[in-house]
Amino acid sequence: MVLDFNTIYYPGRFERLIEDFFRPQPGEGRRMAFPPLNVSEDEANYYIRSEVPGMALDAVELTLTEKSLVIRGERPTEQGKYYRQERPAGFFQRVVALNVPVDRDKVRATLADGVLTVVLPKCEGCIPRKISIDVA
Amino acid sequence: MSENTANSNEAKTLPRVSPATDILEREDGFYVFMDLPGVRREDLSIDINENEITVTGRALQGASDKESFLEVQFGPGEYVRAVSLSDRVDRERIKASLKDGVLTLHLPRMEKLAPRRIPVQTA
Repeated sequence: MVLDFNTIYYPGRFERLIEDFFRPQPGEGRRMAFPPLNVSEDEANYYIRSEVPGMALDAVELTLTEKSLVIRGERPTEQGKYYRQERPAGFFQRVVALNVPVDRDKVRATLADGVLTVVLPKCEGCIPRKISIDVA
Repeated sequence: MSENTANSNEAKTLPRVSPATDILEREDGFYVFMDLPGVRREDLSIDINENEITVTGRALQGASDKESFLEVQFGPGEYVRAVSLSDRVDRERIKASLKDGVLTLHLPRMEKLAPRRIPVQTA
């Protein structure tokens, strides 16, 4: 039988508990949501990354609406007699509100090693540009 | 957040993460599934010690330096997890495969030793 003795002790557990208690971080409560999301931007694009291990690209359903990007899918449960189950399973859904205009036709999604990356290009007309004021 | 500091000195130490693991038993042996998102095959190593199997993998963030983060819920890290093996596992036939960020370890049972009779020799 396979035994796992790591439940009781894993390094840094209490240190992390104390650290988290004194430094509450924004979005801490949502870290429990599956799958975790990273949202970032650079000059040309917005990037949404998500850890969805075990999912094939066609099993992840991405829906882009006017105001939101919805990531949904279902993680299957393995058959067998479980001794330990930590991996989340079942249906999941995350909704990313898009309150910025994006170029909807050029949105691309890739999935590599269980990390989903959605690239949302900023639309041409929305990149800020300088307007010179002429003195009349 | 801690992810940002880890990004700046990536070469030093990544935060250690214990990957979510399922351990289950089927007809043909034990199966261990580990979620290792972002770990490439070349960044993964599996070591068997005497009666422990240790999985180590590094996940690097695929982001460039120019990006500024609006929301961070996961970051780069080093996955470390050890699972104890019993004597009933056949160490020679352990198989591992990595697909879509999930590591599957198959630990087959020892071939059942057939019961045999010990002949008694006369001295």
